Amino acid sequence: MERYTADMVKTLSEIVGASYVAADPATLFAYTRDASHFGGTEAAVVVRPETTEEVSRIVAYAHTHRIPVVTRGGGASIYGQPRGIPGNTILIDMTRMDKVIEINPTSMTVRAQAGIIMGKLQHVCRQAGFYIYAPFAPLHIVSLGGWMSGAAGSAGLWTDIISLTAVLPDGTVVCTGGGPGTNIHQKIYYNRNLGGPDLTGLFIGDGGSFGIKTEAVVRITPYPKVLRASIYEFARIEPVLELVARHVGRVNPHPFEPVMVFGPGAMKNFMPEFETSTAFTVQGMIQGHTEEETLAKQTMFNRIAEELGGVRNPMLDAMAEAMAASGTGSSDMEMDWLSLFNGLGVAAWLPFTLPREGFLDVYHRMLEWREKRLQDALHRGFRYRATWEFFAPTDASSLIGEIDAFFEPSDNPELFDYLRDMMADFQEFAHKLGSIDVYNQGLMSRINASCWSSGYAKLFDTIKTALDPQSILNLGLWKKT
Amino acid sequence: MKELKKVSRFVYNCKRCGMCGNKVTAKVPYVCPIRKATPGFEQFYARGKIIIAQGLLEGRLSWSPEVARALYSCTLCGNCMTQCAATDADRNEPMVATTKIVEAMRADLLRDYPDGVPRAYHQVLTATQQYENPWRLPRATRKQWYTGLEVIEAGTEPAEMLLFAGCTIASSPVLAERARRAVQVLNSAGIRPAVLGSREVCCGSVQRKIGAVSLAQELMEKNISLINRSSCTKVVTLCAGCFGTLSTEYRTAAQPLAAEVVHMVELLAALVRDKKLTFRKSRQLTVAYHDPCHVGRHAGIFNQPRAVLAALPGITLVERRATREHTICCGAGGGMRLFDDGTLAAKIGAAAVAEAAAVGAQALVSACPFCEMNLAAGAAELKEELPVYDIIDLVYESLAPEPR
Repeated sequence: MERYTADMVKTLSEIVGASYVAADPATLFAYTRDASHFGGTEAAVVVRPETTEEVSRIVAYAHTHRIPVVTRGGGASIYGQPRGIPGNTILIDMTRMDKVIEINPTSMTVRAQAGIIMGKLQHVCRQAGFYIYAPFAPLHIVSLGGWMSGAAGSAGLWTDIISLTAVLPDGTVVCTGGGPGTNIHQKIYYNRNLGGPDLTGLFIGDGGSFGIKTEAVVRITPYPKVLRASIYEFARIEPVLELVARHVGRVNPHPFEPVMVFGPGAMKNFMPEFETSTAFTVQGMIQGHTEEETLAKQTMFNRIAEELGGVRNPMLDAMAEAMAASGTGSSDMEMDWLSLFNGLGVAAWLPFTLPREGFLDVYHRMLEWREKRLQDALHRGFRYRATWEFFAPTDASSLIGEIDAFFEPSDNPELFDYLRDMMADFQEFAHKLGSIDVYNQGLMSRINASCWSSGYAKLFDTIKTALDPQSILNLGLWKKT
Repeated sequence: MKELKKVSRFVYNCKRCGMCGNKVTAKVPYVCPIRKATPGFEQFYARGKIIIAQGLLEGRLSWSPEVARALYSCTLCGNCMTQCAATDADRNEPMVATTKIVEAMRADLLRDYPDGVPRAYHQVLTATQQYENPWRLPRATRKQWYTGLEVIEAGTEPAEMLLFAGCTIASSPVLAERARRAVQVLNSAGIRPAVLGSREVCCGSVQRKIGAVSLAQELMEKNISLINRSSCTKVVTLCAGCFGTLSTEYRTAAQPLAAEVVHMVELLAALVRDKKLTFRKSRQLTVAYHDPCHVGRHAGIFNQPRAVLAALPGITLVERRATREHTICCGAGGGMRLFDDGTLAAKIGAAAVAEAAAVGAQALVSACPFCEMNLAAGAAELKEELPVYDIIDLVYESLAPEPR
């Protein structure tokens, strides 16, 4: 071990304990990859802190010695992670910070460390009779901190984050939102905006660029006890979009009534009976606190769907029944989705977030783009096995979705080169059509940044430079090249 | 990377999502016992091991003591695969067979970097080469446990059922007594089992898990030859490791095992169902059943042991949060009792015992000598007065007449 690294290990060991610092080849290599096809961080040291104070001391040390720091939560970003400087970076693995600090049933908030995986946080909340509204999210793989840094906005959690504790790039600990640490006259966290700018929002979606989030206070709601599902099939996409429009117009915001739309390719993966189907399928997951409430909501949803020509059949009804029986809340189903995804093959993840207005035209163009690439892949000898088309409203104005493709499993490195190119090209294409995305790390941050106006870029750079003058934190994010 | 290359598709099938190390639900308190019992770096659960495998395959990582440590820090329990649940429908197999990846890496490590293999494992392999079992038990002693019991020396007279005792039962008086009790239970149901006696060699489970594939294969071929010649149509095992090996690996041999393989809990459940056993003695005891990985998660045998326990007078069964296919390994799997002098295994065992105590169990019951030994070690570590039984013990005791 080089002297330089040995010094890092010694100092970090004094902060977190020697057991939680590693600089051996096995550890360092195991952290070079995450869920993406893109390369990861080649760190000099990996450290697993347990408290905000430890993170603060690590970052202060890095700041003083100008050592790059990369943070990692669940390792679930599908568009890569910050690189740091290979061989000269401290990688902070946040997942040891996985404690739920407090559930406040009166204010209906939960305070937790940011390294907690969302599935565990959800489980602890449910034990107390509460629930975090977080549909369409990969709960079992993403950390609270990673989610706040990236996907929270599109997954509907954004406005529910009341306060967060962050370690700034010089080691300073700040607490945002209203509550202890920000408002000396208040003992509880209850409101994000107490007479000042929304500094919580500054850190949400930043990819971890402005500070390391170590704790957060998130709103919770009483756990809906009853789940019913309705599944309708439509021959055309237009009435599907009309159904979505009427649904979000009726129940916006709609914390217990997520609606998911699946394209023909996706349905084949659920059930082989859909092999020849060209239909779109709409799944309404209707939740409530009582049978009466839930049934009433379901009846309204069904009425709209049927007015628009949606049809049910015994197979869809059986599927709905199975989904309703799988648990209460879309997060329970998420587990099955992930297993389903993981069984389909090697993925080209092609996610998007688009306005509902004008969606159809863009959606068709994206599908055309995918079809051309799939034909090109076939021409090059890469066989795709399945496709997955899905979109859902996250609020009245936005649709989040994916048009993924899954290829025959292979250890051919050329396939992975192809997939990286395909994913990068898709994001370039989709961004030009107005899509934004939520994986605010790695490649995606660079593509997003390439769309910024000069004024926006200046604002961002000014904040970043002020907070991180040594430019040590998550180096490589939000750079156009 | 000869062995690893054979399973490389599993390596590249993995999406590295991390669910294998991070999932928590009402039934899954955590996935990987190794990650829980260590400082928790990535290579101490499935995703990190698969990334290491990728590095080895692509020549970007080479053998080192730390890589070896990562590979041997695995119970091969397969809970990561259960929680991943991804299935390759075209091949009808798990999308990511982590246990196969780890076993393959261990085999390559043993061949290419033997200095990285812990000394205790080398000792097991040396003992096996000398004694055909890892316990250094001379052949003659393999017959002692059934002295005076109603058994048939296989091949001396026709027998339908062969009791494959397993070498571990001869390694301690307590386990030998267990085997004796198993025979007595079978006798009381009118079954006189055959045994291989001093000819029986180790099933090869532990050697395969260490990475000695050829040695495991030699042992397998010897046992298959003996059993196939015995004319027995059913083999019953007392050990979950033997069961797992006989019911899977022995099927893939060039000359495969012909007989049906069942674990003792399956046989007991059938005997209870058919009213072949009469339980006379009641014992008021609340127990939690620990599903051995090879019997439970890997073979789907969950209901049978519970049916047996339900039939025993006075026994009340409680379930831990992680039960059946979600059961957290006792810690002994994958040869872990020999790793780090068993300290990591005992720590994992202690967690299993603590969970049992937390749900009000007065005792833990299992169906595997390795589980029993390691759970007992875990109880000792916790200083918890929670006895660990094999299900055979409770059945045997319930058969005894009520005292007057």
